[in-house]
Amino acid sequence: MMRRLLPGLSAFVAIALVCFLTPDALAAQSADLGAQRLGRPYLFVFVAYAVGWALILGWIISIARRLRSLESRIDRE
Amino acid sequence: MKARTGWLGIGLAMLGVLGSVATLAMVFFWVPTEARQGVIQRIFYLHVPSAWVAFMAFGIVAFASAVYLWLGDERADMAALAAAEGGMIFTAIVLTSGPLWGKIAWGAYWVWEPRLTLTLLLGFIYLGYMMVRNATDSPERGKRFAAVVGIVGAINIPLIHMSVYWFRSLHPDPVVLKPEGPTLDGDMLTTLMVGLLSFTLLFFGLMTLRYGVERARHTLELRESA
Repeated sequence: MMRRLLPGLSAFVAIALVCFLTPDALAAQSADLGAQRLGRPYLFVFVAYAVGWALILGWIISIARRLRSLESRIDRE
Repeated sequence: MKARTGWLGIGLAMLGVLGSVATLAMVFFWVPTEARQGVIQRIFYLHVPSAWVAFMAFGIVAFASAVYLWLGDERADMAALAAAEGGMIFTAIVLTSGPLWGKIAWGAYWVWEPRLTLTLLLGFIYLGYMMVRNATDSPERGKRFAAVVGIVGAINIPLIHMSVYWFRSLHPDPVVLKPEGPTLDGDMLTTLMVGLLSFTLLFFGLMTLRYGVERARHTLELRESA
């Protein structure tokens, strides 16, 4: 399972690093959005909590699926 | 998975989820807004508990790995793997929420300052722990290599904590873990403590369930080899 997850996880980490380490390049793509300062803190707080909970929910679902699959295989044997 | 382990895991995770819902309510409807940073400071109640859980998870990985190398007990390796997977999730939360906070507070998503760099290194050590397990032909060798990575990597945890004292850092000095006691506002401290307790319970619940996955896999492998 981890072997299947690793390529995707590595790609996610690589994309996240590129995004975080090149803020100037990203800002250049959205120069107009960069000027909108008023709502940004609210948006960023929302995004932080949403991403955090998405990661936790993803882990919960991943554990549940693996557990169900293994237990059904054990029951079959 | 043993029924007792399963119920323990589900019970702890449920308590953690309930506590986290209470934390969210406190963060968005109760705790006062910090005077200098404003709304963005509310990321603190996600960022700090996630960092605490990530460091604690690595402590468990190091301890369980040492037990595995010493006694060769498979259960210790399973516990280390379960803790490492959880630690990776919570490190990812720290590395996502921190840059969002930093963009507003410091004006940049990422700054190569000691605490950020060492936390990124922690994420890579977790990734390395996972990859080393599957990098050898012999699973036993992979587990032993991973255990060494888990123990050596734990050196990073005190470095991350002390980095704000030892190096010039943009991160503020600790406001809770300090010799003269916490200097955080009372309501903020209460919210932080509820968040810390909730994420700790959630982590232990999910780690117990993840340990159950490894136990089930081990049982299946034993049956298939018999």
